[in-house]
Amino acid sequence: MKFIRPKDVENLLENLEEDKSKKYFLAGGTDLNVQIKNGIIRDANIIYINHLSELSGISEENNIILIGATTSIMDILDSDLIKRHLPYFQRSLESFASPLLQNTATIGGNIANGSPTADVIPLLLVLDAKVELSSKSQSRLIYIKDFFNGYKQNVMKSNEIITHIIIDKNAEKDFLTFYEKVGSRRTLTISKVTLAGMKKVSGQRISQIRLAVGSLNEFPRRLFKVEDYITDKTLTEIDFSRVENLLGKEITPITDLRSDKEYRYHVCVNLIRSFLNQ
Amino acid sequence: MKISFTLNDKKVNIDVDPMKRLLDVIREDFGLLGTKEGCGEGECGACTILLNGKPVTSCILNAIHADGKEIYTVEGIAEKPIGKLLIDCFDETNAVQCGFCFPGFLVSSYYYLKTDGEKNLDKIKKALSGNICRCTGYQKVFESVMLACVRKS
Repeated sequence: MKFIRPKDVENLLENLEEDKSKKYFLAGGTDLNVQIKNGIIRDANIIYINHLSELSGISEENNIILIGATTSIMDILDSDLIKRHLPYFQRSLESFASPLLQNTATIGGNIANGSPTADVIPLLLVLDAKVELSSKSQSRLIYIKDFFNGYKQNVMKSNEIITHIIIDKNAEKDFLTFYEKVGSRRTLTISKVTLAGMKKVSGQRISQIRLAVGSLNEFPRRLFKVEDYITDKTLTEIDFSRVENLLGKEITPITDLRSDKEYRYHVCVNLIRSFLNQ
Repeated sequence: MKISFTLNDKKVNIDVDPMKRLLDVIREDFGLLGTKEGCGEGECGACTILLNGKPVTSCILNAIHADGKEIYTVEGIAEKPIGKLLIDCFDETNAVQCGFCFPGFLVSSYYYLKTDGEKNLDKIKKALSGNICRCTGYQKVFESVMLACVRKS
């Protein structure tokens, strides 16, 4: 086991370039330490990043909001900038874990850990957020919808780290929004089913809709097929059995200690119905 | 690794495994046994401390997280006027049952009184929502904190 505390981001990226061995980034530690405790991670090489001020904080640049990877959930909840431009995102994060965990858990950590139940991801999916991945030689932007490629698997290379999350300032403008995290209690709950939704309605017609689910697949994802079917229809034109059928092709709920797959499927159907009727 | 921080108003230095749980550093290296381990996964709040003024669960933080920071444990908070006020209120309303979760409740309540302090049940419930009591004593805890809010103002 190695423990590395880089002196700045440049030093961190140099280190990633030189040392290709498997390693874990330690920011808030809320996920990593539980995995160490449960023996899922053993003798790991750890790179501490929580002290790197360049990776933390919320700023604006032209038409975008930049959220540093190690920004805590509480900093997002407390941010005036987020409140002004992304109130739906901010409001929805209140159900993240508990205030105690919101103070340490980071947005980048929630993404990098990539749990199917990660609270931040369905929201970033409907907001069409981008993740900035940086290495020594370059930075690249990747849409969050393209970031995951398997259970806790993502497209990050061994020499890269998440540096920022980027959201358009107008991402919520003119949208009606929906967020429901279904759990056994209000705080300190792990989602059984989460639905995030954004839609634009002109007259009776749903002109644009984005839906994202958590806890229903190996990673949170958009429901593109359902979205395509609903787009440009009025409520009366939507055949709900068709929605259910398409949903069945897009989600793969499992039975685990929190819930069973039939329950998850039906709750998801009902949440979509609620959002459409809203 | 050598780290230094402020612990209950005292500057401290320690040579420690940077990955050692902060909870264990507090209990084993500094002998402060008020901070408890409940679930060990950040879900129960028995290990709550203040780190740079904010309540956090020390069981899923590491020694390295303390470096250069300011920490208050329940022992430090119990010496502060608001800490004493809260202890009196918990006492008067018989809020404590087995007591294991209470160091955490005290820290979270202290933070609420310091940063807000409005006698508002919804706000208090939210502020204490990361602390779990398995003796089922929440109502009296809320009453205690409400009482402390009144007395503080």
